[in-house]
Amino acid sequence: MARRRPAALLLVVAMAAVLAAAWRAEALSVTVTDTECIHEFVPYEGDTVSGNFVVVDHDIFWSSDHPGIDLTVTSPGGNTVHTLTGKSGDKFEFKAPRGGMYKFCFHNPYGAPETVSFYIHVGHIPNEHNLAKDEHLDPINVKIAELKEALESVTAEQKYLKAREARHRHTNESTRKRVMFYTVAEYLAFMAASALQVVYIRRLFSKNVGYNRV
Amino acid sequence: MAARRSGSAPRWLPPVRAAPPGRLPPLDPTAGSRALRFDLESGHTKCISDEIKVGAMAVGKYHVVGPDPNFPDAQLPESHRISLRVTSPYGNSMHYAENVQSGHFAFTAAEAGDYLACFWAPDHKPPVTIGFEFDWRSGVSTKDWPSVAKKGKVDMMELELKKLEETIKNIHEEMFYLREREEEMQDLNRKTNSRMAWLGFLSLGICLSVAGLQLWHLKTFFERKKLL
Repeated sequence: MARRRPAALLLVVAMAAVLAAAWRAEALSVTVTDTECIHEFVPYEGDTVSGNFVVVDHDIFWSSDHPGIDLTVTSPGGNTVHTLTGKSGDKFEFKAPRGGMYKFCFHNPYGAPETVSFYIHVGHIPNEHNLAKDEHLDPINVKIAELKEALESVTAEQKYLKAREARHRHTNESTRKRVMFYTVAEYLAFMAASALQVVYIRRLFSKNVGYNRV
Repeated sequence: MAARRSGSAPRWLPPVRAAPPGRLPPLDPTAGSRALRFDLESGHTKCISDEIKVGAMAVGKYHVVGPDPNFPDAQLPESHRISLRVTSPYGNSMHYAENVQSGHFAFTAAEAGDYLACFWAPDHKPPVTIGFEFDWRSGVSTKDWPSVAKKGKVDMMELELKKLEETIKNIHEEMFYLREREEEMQDLNRKTNSRMAWLGFLSLGICLSVAGLQLWHLKTFFERKKLL
């Protein structure tokens, strides 16, 4: 195996820095009954943590719309970095004050379990400080990392839209089913009521009840 | 499915990751930490679902991690084991593992829809919270970039640009998918709208015919009874 020269090695490491620039995640769904916490590792201080979540409703029977769930983001030091309350779907973005394991907690204030589809992305761009420290870190790597971050933000928006579309479709189908069911039920109730009316009037006039009562 | 509840989440700092600015990251960017960490209470179930398209590959890796955030290098207790079942939207079990500390699975989605990965831990006395890391990727992100780099003998920058190209292609496909879905939904809404109009007329028709029937029936009845 050829021996790598230190410069080449540094270049490889610098490239790895670019490779490590974007951490991908999938849009996953969890069911939140009371509280669900997800931990995501943020490697560097100053990384931009972005993400979104959408509540894909379960079949809510009575209320027109779920009041929403709360999201709390806690830093490794225990401080709350970001809070969102009473939302049925939102995007969030913040700069990590320090590196470490961040906790994203969804809290459902109401008993009915809700399915939440979320996506969290941690992005890192090697900044000018790194450039100054190591002359082998090509500025083009910074640009590539920025480009990657921009594309990741587009992907994040898409996932958000997809989740919202799923929720919208769910609502539409539920509306349709309910409308059909209630309309047919209304007709049947109407016909039953009028049949009962007729039967009652007939009974009033039947001989064994009493001829002159009416 | 059994109740899904999350316990309190002990924070866990992995060793030597919080690098001061300027220090370069470890050479292998895929080394750990791309996964999401969840907490599982013994005796409870936690389910995570993901929507996967037909024909897309899905790859998952999971392993139990140290429970105590203050001692990340502590010995993993043997009793901390989890079980996992991955089910397809139609209920077929794609992967099943019982009482393991780590594992992985891969499958190609035959059905489009929500794939459910359910973790559960057997009951302990006293109840413990088991932390586990779960990395689930599907579709494009399952592509094994290091092997592509080795096969094609491409250098790092080219690999990065290739990745960008894949990402863009993926975005393009997602846009098509979203557009299709929006069209379907618009269709559905339009159908519902026209159905509502039709049902409105039907409602009026039923109302009038029932009233007419009533009157006719009672009139005949009274004429038979010689009251009218």
